[in-house]
Amino acid sequence: MALNPQYEAIGKGFVQQYYALFDDPAQRPNLVNMYNIESSFMSFEGTQLQGSVKIMEKLTSLSFQKINRVITAVDSQPMFDGGVLINVLGRLQTDEDIPHAYVQTFVLKPIEGSFFVQHDTFRLVLHDTI
Amino acid sequence: MEYDYLIKFLALGDSGVGKTSFLYQYTDGTFNSRFISTVGIDFREKRLLYQTKGRNHRVHLQLWDTAGQERFRSLTTAFYRDAMGFLLLFDLTSEQSFIEIRNWIEQLRIHAYCDSPDVILCGNKADLEDRRVIMEWRARDLAEKNNLVYIETSAATGQNVARAVETLLERVMIRMESAVDKAMLPGRRGRPRDLDNVDLNSQQKSCGC
Repeated sequence: MALNPQYEAIGKGFVQQYYALFDDPAQRPNLVNMYNIESSFMSFEGTQLQGSVKIMEKLTSLSFQKINRVITAVDSQPMFDGGVLINVLGRLQTDEDIPHAYVQTFVLKPIEGSFFVQHDTFRLVLHDTI
Repeated sequence: MEYDYLIKFLALGDSGVGKTSFLYQYTDGTFNSRFISTVGIDFREKRLLYQTKGRNHRVHLQLWDTAGQERFRSLTTAFYRDAMGFLLLFDLTSEQSFIEIRNWIEQLRIHAYCDSPDVILCGNKADLEDRRVIMEWRARDLAEKNNLVYIETSAATGQNVARAVETLLERVMIRMESAVDKAMLPGRRGRPRDLDNVDLNSQQKSCGC
């Protein structure tokens, strides 16, 4: 499959759609449609998960209700299988907590004219030294 | 202002158990906490006098708090490093927060300066007696098995908040006074025991010529 020239728009559009679902507790369960039942991987703060069921267990177990999110940058690249690599740099505030920077990377895999999230890694930007 | 001891404590436990309110209550409702964004840590300070063997020691107490990152399970090792004592909180009205205590103890064993640091287990929200789901004997049992002190507290009313912090301070001070083996002191984890001596010797050599 060829490189997808629309990678930039796909990246931006995906990020917008993904976080619109994620940030609304009522809609968060719908994220299940973004992942594949078997071939999706997630690393959430170092915890490795495979498949949409395990991933959704993790995402729906998060204890906050409100999220305030600011996206600083979305960097996308086309992949040789027609997929898109997306890196997000942002800041999020959960409930009344202090805002934290975070970084999240997605790999979108093309499937029948659409995409699913094949890889997803998430980390808050916290360091081991002051 | 000068002090004799700088003591650093950490507040740990699931989000929503009342860590921040607890520290807020202890520091007399002052909100002048300082945030260190690189490690995502918040801390408050308080000065107090500690009496032992008829002598007064001026203690500068730093109370370190998480800033919501525990929701993601993203505490870095920097958070645990150099802490001399731990306030481990759960919510008496939340079974889940009590179950998670085992994980927190495990984290402490991995990251703290020694395998058996001083820990006060606080069953918080004791004022919500009608909503209590954790019976006192269960918490006492867990505390006993893990060699922790158990105290029921209320950050809302202030019940036992100062007692918990002061009990911890007492234990840490006793440990410091009785620490003959320097390797048991905080901040020395993983350091070869006679590194200090090696340094001393080399210094003596360079000075001796």
